Amino acid sequence: MSTITSDVTTAPKLSDLSVGDELPAMHKFPDEAQLFLYSAASHNPHRIHYDREYARFEGHEDLLVHGPLQGAWLTQYLTDWAGPHGRLLGVTWQNRASGLAGEELVYSGTVTSVDSATGVVELEIAERTSDGRLLMPATARVRLPTA
Amino acid sequence: MRESLIPEESLARVGEVLSGPVTVVIDQREAQRYAYAVGDENPIYFDAEAAQAAGYRALVAPPTYVTHAVVQPRTASDLRTDGLYRARTGVRLLVNRMMFGGEEWDFIEPVCIGDEITATTRLAALDQKQGSKGPFVRQVRETAFVNQFGTEVARSRQIGIAR
Repeated sequence: MSTITSDVTTAPKLSDLSVGDELPAMHKFPDEAQLFLYSAASHNPHRIHYDREYARFEGHEDLLVHGPLQGAWLTQYLTDWAGPHGRLLGVTWQNRASGLAGEELVYSGTVTSVDSATGVVELEIAERTSDGRLLMPATARVRLPTA
Repeated sequence: MRESLIPEESLARVGEVLSGPVTVVIDQREAQRYAYAVGDENPIYFDAEAAQAAGYRALVAPPTYVTHAVVQPRTASDLRTDGLYRARTGVRLLVNRMMFGGEEWDFIEPVCIGDEITATTRLAALDQKQGSKGPFVRQVRETAFVNQFGTEVARSRQIGIAR
């Protein structure tokens, strides 16, 4: 479930942005059905995402959230924030640790640079569990309308 | 001189094409099924008018969807016990396990429904590094995605960490 949606009226204005500004958080709750749907839609048969007994046999606490799903949520966080006229130019993420089924994930972000001439905004993003464990640090570039 | 985890013949493969070129047409149903599976219901993926109002030439696919769109169908008899397909072009390393370390994406132009996308994956880098827990190998698989107009639309670099 996301707390923000893509909307012209809530999209950030370049002229209002400053370095250090924080983005509103986005929350996701990966349950078993979520993991199943993503395995199916991304053609991913890796057993650690649907066979709990096997995931534990491999030494994991529970079913693992797909790394690419965490990445897709990261891009959603950015495109939702940027609004329909914003463009996501690039993103780099590190998979430090995997999320587990049933564990809430929280996305947060901070503006690290603003170029008012080109509209390019750089951001630092983090995906954490609700108890604060950092799973996926990231950086991103977004272009916002200059007019 | 400590021992290398990268055999000579693997180092010689840097720059080599590991998979592709493979060409697919971006399918509306599959792209929308993917967007729903992510829980990303951005109108530009579902409503052609919203996509055009936002400056796109047609319905758009979610940013990283293109990497899944080019996955080729394979027989289930190719599955290993862990549910992964047997590698066809694996790069031989003297390590125990490979972990997914992260990913870098450049989104250059939008990928729209109906676009014909050609993906080519190369072994971009293979470096041995010294970490706090001993030596490890950083492997970079770089995929270029090119559309029917010959424009590169996206580039991804998947970082594998092997030790």
